[in-house]
Amino acid sequence: MKRAKFTRYLTAAVLLVILVIILIPLVWSISMSFDRTATTYLPEFSLIPHEPTLFNYKAAAKMIDLPRYFLNTVIIVVINTTLAVFFSMMCGFAFAKLNFVGKRFWFIFMLAVMMVPFESRLVPLFLQYRDWGLLNTWWPLILGQFAYVYGTFFARSYISSIPDSLAESVYIDGGSQWRVFFSIILPLSKPIMSTLAILQVIANWNAYLWPLVVIRDYKKQMISVGVAMFNANQNATYYGPRMAVAVLSAIPLVILYLILQKHIVASIAVSGIKQ
Amino acid sequence: MKQKKISKRLIKNNLTAYSFIIVSLVTLLVLVYIPMISTVDYSFRRIGMVGFGDEWVGLENYRMLFSQSAFWRAIGNTILLAVMGLLTIPVGFLLAVLINSLGRGKLQEFFRVGFYLPNIITGVSVYLIFRVVLMGDGGLLNNFLSAITGRQIRIGWLADPKFARWGVTIIWVWMNMGYSMLMNLANLQSIPTDLYDAASIDGANALQKLVCITIPNMKSCFALLFVTGMINGLARFTDIFILSGSDSYGGAGGTLQTILMYVFQFSFETPNYGVASAGSMVLFVLVFIMTMINVKLTGFLKDEV
Repeated sequence: MKRAKFTRYLTAAVLLVILVIILIPLVWSISMSFDRTATTYLPEFSLIPHEPTLFNYKAAAKMIDLPRYFLNTVIIVVINTTLAVFFSMMCGFAFAKLNFVGKRFWFIFMLAVMMVPFESRLVPLFLQYRDWGLLNTWWPLILGQFAYVYGTFFARSYISSIPDSLAESVYIDGGSQWRVFFSIILPLSKPIMSTLAILQVIANWNAYLWPLVVIRDYKKQMISVGVAMFNANQNATYYGPRMAVAVLSAIPLVILYLILQKHIVASIAVSGIKQ
Repeated sequence: MKQKKISKRLIKNNLTAYSFIIVSLVTLLVLVYIPMISTVDYSFRRIGMVGFGDEWVGLENYRMLFSQSAFWRAIGNTILLAVMGLLTIPVGFLLAVLINSLGRGKLQEFFRVGFYLPNIITGVSVYLIFRVVLMGDGGLLNNFLSAITGRQIRIGWLADPKFARWGVTIIWVWMNMGYSMLMNLANLQSIPTDLYDAASIDGANALQKLVCITIPNMKSCFALLFVTGMINGLARFTDIFILSGSDSYGGAGGTLQTILMYVFQFSFETPNYGVASAGSMVLFVLVFIMTMINVKLTGFLKDEV
């Protein structure tokens, strides 16, 4: 028994060492972002800043319009997450509970989309939006959210498990399927909705390739692209300000994760979706 | 009379049902199916600058693509990097075994959450941090290796063609191992414990249990991670693009250029959308093959439709 306990502590210690090694780059970058010596050259490794300062953050604030990128990204994340979750719930409800002509066909029509990687239709999609005159607007980022295929898939299996008897009271009152959807299904589907919302927030916050392609005007750009452009424009120095920007742009997701950690990990373990 | 009433209700029910899905269906038609057909169409045309002269050229784009050593190199790079990225599976498995052996409780929860953190925050900011971590001169990794070996190590993890693939594999494993760990852990915990009890009665030691019970029971999990890992690896772009300094040629003498970076170069830097579409088709076919294997392995569509 004693031996088992010892093995357990040893395992925990080994895991802790691995975890620390894995997370050290992040700690180092935070330390550099507060280090005056990192402003112009790469300092020796240290977990605490050599010369603590806020200078790098002030310098970064002058060089890059972070508040604007933050605002743009938050707006898009809120719009996109709301749309994607709502429309996937609607589709999930229809495929789980309603009978209609062509149901099987349209379900396959949706699922087949999972087999087409977004990247392989990047070029024609770009040309299509160009012909519509929508480049350099937020429309290309938003319009795709009216269909969230993975969400539909999980919403459908979740809604299937809600018993039909719960909807009967609505039918007796002569209510429509829309009433059932809003007053019975949505309130009972909070767990799956929050799971899908979390996945969408993370995916939208980190989206890079598509905004890079469709938005040229930096004033409308998302934070991921803005931060990367800022870095590409600096020459090899300015480590401190670059790290300050990297740290700031990662903070929202870290906070989200720390608050919802158990829920997020459980969502991903259950759904198998990685972002 | 009665029949008419029934059919009227049927139509009404159908209309209601379609009102729930029509927006999504139209979206998929316009933003997925039509562009996909366009990719096929464009790959047979010469499409240069803004809408001028999209003439039918047959297989010309494909011929041009496959006659370029750069494209073959991009295919080779992509597949090689995707395969190297599969290192994520054994790493995730080992972590999962260790974490699982702690038994359910606070400690296990802590490591589950901790090791998943890199997955969540992975994004541009992390790539930028790793550009500095993997630097040849004064980078954190080289410092660490120098300290362990006692020699001065200056490997250009992103600049040296010999090591660059390892450099980007390090970040790939770093950012994906949490996912692999979670999937492995979930599967480990679904293995019936009486199998282990029976083995204990037969006097099996821990290693024998791992080899004879655990690993055979993990097959479907490994298969899933293999296929999803390959699919994600084949469409790899963002991390390498940023690690190469927002350069679609890929740093380190082109050893890092993936198919998608090649496509990007031909669509948004030197616009030749025909060639880019042909490149997209090659990517699509590769991913499609992996997806089909996935469907076959997991029986995904079979139970659902």
